[in-house]
Order: sequence, then C-alpha cells, then structure tokens
Amino acid sequence: MLNSSILDALRSAVDQGDQEQSGLITSINQLQTYECDGLTNFRTLPEAVVLPRSTSQVQAIVRICAEHGIPFVARGAGTGLSGGALPATGGIVISFARMNRILSIDIPNQQVVVEPGVINSHVTDAVASHGYFYAPDPSSQSVCTLGGNVAENSGGAHCLKYGFTTTHILALEVVLPNGEVVEFGSSAPDSPGYDLRGVFVGSEGTLGVATKMTLRIVKRPEAVQVVLAAFDSITAAAQTVSDVIAAGMLPAALEMMDRLSAQAAEAAVHPNYPVCEALLLVELDGPEAEVRAQILEVEHLCKQNGAWEVRLAQTAKERALIWKGRKAAFAAMGRISPNYIVQDGVIPRTALPVVLESIERMAAEVHLRVANVFHAGDGNLHPMVLYDQSIPGQEEIALDLSYRILHLCVDKGGSITGEHGVGKEKQQAMGYMFSEPDLETMQLVRHAFDPQNIANPDKLFPRPRLCAEKTGPYTPHPLEVAGTAEFF
Amino acid sequence: MVTSTTTQDVMSPESVQQAAEYLRHANEQRLAIEIVGAGTKRGWGNTVVSPLLLNTKRLVGIREHSWQDLTATVAAGTPWSTMQEALAVHGQCVALDPLWPAKATVGGIVATNDSGSLRLRYGSLRDLIIGMTVVLADGTIAKSGGKVVKNVAGYDIHKLMTGAFGTLGLITEVTFRLHPLPKSVATWTITSNDIAALDRVRDQISDSTMSVEALQLRNHKDRFSLDVKFATLPDALGDHSRRLHALATSLDVASGDEVVWLSRENIFCAERATAKITMSPTKISTSLAKIQAAGGSAVVQQSGIMMASLEADSANILGLRKLFEDIGGSFTVLQWPESVAHSPERWGDTIKGLPLMKEIKRQFDPNRTLNPGRFVGGI
Repeated sequence: MLNSSILDALRSAVDQGDQEQSGLITSINQLQTYECDGLTNFRTLPEAVVLPRSTSQVQAIVRICAEHGIPFVARGAGTGLSGGALPATGGIVISFARMNRILSIDIPNQQVVVEPGVINSHVTDAVASHGYFYAPDPSSQSVCTLGGNVAENSGGAHCLKYGFTTTHILALEVVLPNGEVVEFGSSAPDSPGYDLRGVFVGSEGTLGVATKMTLRIVKRPEAVQVVLAAFDSITAAAQTVSDVIAAGMLPAALEMMDRLSAQAAEAAVHPNYPVCEALLLVELDGPEAEVRAQILEVEHLCKQNGAWEVRLAQTAKERALIWKGRKAAFAAMGRISPNYIVQDGVIPRTALPVVLESIERMAAEVHLRVANVFHAGDGNLHPMVLYDQSIPGQEEIALDLSYRILHLCVDKGGSITGEHGVGKEKQQAMGYMFSEPDLETMQLVRHAFDPQNIANPDKLFPRPRLCAEKTGPYTPHPLEVAGTAEFF
Repeated sequence: MVTSTTTQDVMSPESVQQAAEYLRHANEQRLAIEIVGAGTKRGWGNTVVSPLLLNTKRLVGIREHSWQDLTATVAAGTPWSTMQEALAVHGQCVALDPLWPAKATVGGIVATNDSGSLRLRYGSLRDLIIGMTVVLADGTIAKSGGKVVKNVAGYDIHKLMTGAFGTLGLITEVTFRLHPLPKSVATWTITSNDIAALDRVRDQISDSTMSVEALQLRNHKDRFSLDVKFATLPDALGDHSRRLHALATSLDVASGDEVVWLSRENIFCAERATAKITMSPTKISTSLAKIQAAGGSAVVQQSGIMMASLEADSANILGLRKLFEDIGGSFTVLQWPESVAHSPERWGDTIKGLPLMKEIKRQFDPNRTLNPGRFVGGI
C-alpha cells in the first residue's frame, strides 16, 4: 500500500491547484473502474490512478515510481483484450484520459501529431476533409486510443494492404522508466541509430510510456468497393482467398466469417448477410480503372470456387453496413451464447482449411461451439469459444480449448497473437512459441530500458512455473497459496 | 572455414551453428570481429579495427518460399538479385530496390537498412521483414518474429537489428513479406531548370490518388529532373499518363527509362564524400537546391531520403549537417575518400537516445565483439 507521502507526491505531480479536477484517484469505488481492461477475468485493484495533463506531469509521476520502485501501467480507453492494462499488485495506473489533444496536422507532409489519449477514429475525422485517413483500424477504433494502439501495435481489417500501427508511427516522445524523456524516430525517415521506435511499438507498456506520437496519414483512395460472397464451405472460401492473392491482387481487406459469426452479426446489426457456411468480404480500393478490373476478377474467382451469391455493395451506406456487421461480430456473440472467449491466433493462410477442421474437431470433443471470424488475407483467426459460466467447470474447459487452439496455430507455423497482444492472458503461451534463448534475447531489451522492472511488470514474458503446474491462465499454485513457495 | 589475410583471419561459416561457434569463441577470447556480406557498403560508418573478419558468403540460399502465403525465408549471404530471381518464378518480390543488387547480400542490405525509390509505396525493410534469426556475440542463436505477416508476439528484435550495422548480432536468416510483381509499370521524367515548378508537380502527385510506385528528384549541372513511376493495371496507366500531363502542362514530360531508378548508384564516387541526408517531404526541393549550390549532385526520394555526392571538405560538410539537423533531418557521411584526411564524425553528434542505445549495445554485446566502433556514438 502506498504511504501518504508518496500519495502526496503523486497528487502534487498531477494537481494544478484545482481540487474539483484532481488528477489523483484513491477512493476504492473509483479505482474499481481501472481494475481490468477488456479482458475481464483478470482483475487487480490499483493503489492509485493518476490523470496527467502533460508530458512533464507524466515524467514527474514516473520519477516518483522509479524512486520508490512502484510498478505502473499506462491506460488509454481500456479496450485491450489481453490484459495489457491490468494493474500490477501494489502499482498505479497512469490514465491518458486528459491527454487527448490532436496537436498538429501537416497535410503536405502527411503527418499528424497527437497525445496518447486521442481516439483512433478521431484522427481520420480530423483529416477527412483533406482527403486523408489514418489506416490502422482495430474494431474498437471508435473508442480505443492511439496510446493503446502503439502499446499493442494494433492492426485491423485494413492492415493487409496498409500495414499495422508500427507502419504508421514516425516518431514518439517517450518517458523511460527512469523518468527521462526521449524522442524515438523523427518526422524525417531513418534517424541515425538503433530503431528504438520500432522496438517500442508493440512492447505493451513494458519499455516506458509514450506521451506524444507522430502519425503517418494516407491519401484516401479514389474508389472503394466491397464484394460479399457466400460459400457452402470454409474450404471453398479459403481457396478463393488464395486465388485472389495468387492473381497478384492486394485487396484493402479480405475477411471471412463462419456461419455462427455471420448469424450473430445478423442478429445484432442486421447487415443483411446471406445464411451460409462461409461469408467472404473483399474490399478493393485504388484508382477507378484498377478497382473496376479487379472487381470483375474477384467476382469470377468467387464463382469459380462455388460461391452461390456474389454481391457488390451498391452504395457507401451498404458498404458501411457490411463492415458494421463484421466489426460487431465479437460483441454479437452475446446474442448466441451467455459467455465467450475471444482468441487471436495467426496461421499461414494456406493452413486455414486444415486448422479450422482441427478446431471443429477439438470443440466437438469437449462439447463446445467455436465461432470463427478471420482476417483471412493475413491468416489472423479470431476463434470465439462459446460457453456457459453457470455450468460448473465449463469455463475451465473453454479456456483450455482456447489455449490449445493457440498452440495449434504455433504448430502450423503461426503466432499466438496477431493484434491483441500477449499481455497477461498469453504470458505462458509465449513459452510455447519462443525458445528460452529467444525470450532471453528479448529480456536484454527489457533490461536496457527498465532495469528496475517497474513498467507494466509481469506481462508479456512467461512466468516460471512450479513443478506439475498445468499450462493455461495463471492460477496460484497450492504451495504459493499456503505461503511455502513464491515466484521470483 | 578459416583463412588469413595480411591483417585479419577470415571466417566463412557454412551454417548458423558454425557461425555461433565462431562468435562464442571470439567473444570468450575478447577478439573483435568485423562482419561483412559482399562488402559493397563496408566503407559506410566508422572503420572497424579487428583481428577477425566474418563473411556470410557461405550462408546462402532460399530456405523457404511459401508463395501462396507471400512469405520467404532467405539466408543472409544470398545476393539480393539471386533472391529476387527465385521469387519472380511465382511473380513475387521483396518490394525494395537497394543499391548494387547483383552483388550486395540480403544480410548487408538489412544491416545497413538500405532502401530505394520503392519505399514510397511499400515501406522500408522494417516494414517488409517479419522474422529473423540472429547470432549474438556470445553465440546465442535467437529468433524474432515469425513466418506470418501479422504477429505481435514479443519484442520486434528484428527491427532493432535492421540498420544496426552488425553491432548487436550477426543476421543469419531473414523472413520477408512479399508483394506481387506489378502487372504493368510506366516511368515518366519531367525536366526543367525551374525546381519550384517541379516541386509543385511533385507535391500534386504525392497528394493524388494515382498508383504511384516511385517518385524522385535529381539534379544535373543546370537543371533538375522529376521521375515518377506508376504501377497499376494496363487500363489505369493511360488514365495516369493523361493526369500527369495535365499536372505538368508547361513542362517537358518524357517517357522515361527504368534506368533512372538506378541513379543513386551513380552518386557514389571514390574521390568524393557521399552522404545520406534525410528530411520531411516538403523540404525535398529546397534541400536539393542547397546541395546543388554546394556543388553537389544528389537523388532524393519522395520518402525524404537523399543520397548526395559532395566535395570532401570537412568544414563544408559540417555546415550542411547543421543546416539539415536544424530542419529536423539528419546528415550521415556514408563514405569518405581515403585520400582525404580529417573525416568528419560520420553520424553526427546529436543522436537522440544515444545513452539508451549504448545500454542496448552493452546488454547485447558487453565485450564489444561485434563491429566495435562502427556505429553511432562509437557503438
């Protein structure tokens, strides 16, 4: 528990003499807001929450943490799905709710400078009138913040063509875990030296806190079209994806939903999806003439693979509705199941049919259903394991299945996470994907940035396991509970 | 295999394991190692003084080309063109046009983070590399990233290694995301002595919705050229040509030769200094004019990276460096003629985050075994 002198120091770091707008939260009912992020089955009450308004305030906070060895975690909107913003025991949360300004817009250089609390879609809103947009578009883009996007290296449906958050971050102002403020990258390319910007993006808050970011924006394409195709099998839809890629096309997005997902999305937002085993969404963008020719080719490939309905969205409204259905897929699961676990594995896209077959078999073996939504173009699967928490033991079975699905992704040459991050949820799966030397090499970076291990500790890297402890989400070992053993 | 020259013992490992053995042994004996690929950029950065040289010429070959997944894993010593020829069999490529591709190796290009005109559309190596195998100074073999394009598990060590000039580890294998070869391309060159007029066209092309693959500005003795390459379907090329001519009505627009995209290679000259200068895109034309006024020749890409050839005059170079640093850019002296003494500090004295970089070097290579002194701040 933080003593009163530390709390006083934190208060003076963030307060500006305005007691009505105090930047320090310590009351338990308010702290509960911050005890978890989008991964709600892990919860830890922070000791305090601070709401800085400037880089210098963040610096003052981090210096206090460094001086007293207090763990801290930065938090944007708290929409993360891997527990990245989960507070550490005895630690504080640095919320960026009050650092949410767009600082500058430079259209000729195609750059925007923002504070970390700015909401993703607000950048596009700010530059749309100039014909530009900010490309990374996680499904939560209307609420998630750019600080969180940087921490997680967020993706989205359109990163197949446009790249991830890291592709769109030119420079960062970072408060290091020792309180020093450093600039990584610059508005000009290739700053001399190591690529600190590159290693920081996606480091999940374990290397410091970003307080300002320079984003690259992209010219909005002349034409955008969405083709929707209905198939009788996932295999046929997956083959179409491979054929589109083999034809030399790089669509802006290539998304797939299975029957359960499409059904849930239909129930939630009524996007008028056909009832089918596999629904493929192909978004093409670029110059008019290019898009026109590619639509014909995509339609041909869909039909060649047995699509029984191929529909071209006729209006911008229709396109938006199709996407609304796709982006609502996670939340829509609540309509067909009382509880669900969203996973985030990646496989080489050619392994899609065989992996889906395995997932179906694994689910049937434990009598559970799995709904699937994929960023099919880049092999990013979001299997959603449906279960009922009120049935004793079913949550454990569902969790176990979800981790076995991740292991399957790794076995097929893929990854345990394509965009949600490792966080708390997949710490142990890191040990399945990477060898000890790989992880030790990553730890060298960690030690260079944060020798005290106070920046979002106990995330991302696997914890050492006690003998006979089973894999899966962390649960205290009986010896640990009894106080006869502890982690170190 | 180990051979000797007059000054260095030369190691040419034939496997990653053998490379690890060599490094472990050298590190234990506190013997510094200079790492080279084909040596095309060996003169870049500070000179390395070491008793050992490790080359990657036997670490060659395409390890895996998953053409349906648009990925490929390649050994570091493979010449860039050899890799591209193999990928082209399936109509694919690593979308990057580095210097001297016939000779330069994958590992050397990655270690120096070279890039050319295609960077505008496809990004830099840091966007195209999805995984890497490296050997650390103590012989640890570590993998980073993976073989799938979308992957956020763990730190991107491969980004740290890219452009680290071999000071953090020996790159042995690289996994790239691939792009389809464009179906049709067309290059146009607009020439004028009015750089402001060319800059207006450059800005309009940059702000357009056309499928621009490359865009660069060059200087000649008394005029300038703006090169633009479109890569799209044949149907759209005609439309783009019409649009370009409409943007440049009063200028001389000529169908260009693909060879203009190799112009960077002509900048390098043994008797002159060669610099890599970076800037924001809106500073491109004024920067080129400054280099012209200083008696230099240069090619500057729309990405904001210029390669410039200048007289090897230290005072003049330092003056130019300050000028570019003042506008938020950088000025790195890549090569300096052997015949001219007093080379300026190659990387500049205002490296942001240098203490942290030095700590990263200390963590990865505490004995300073790998390419000691070559990089920024004497790393």
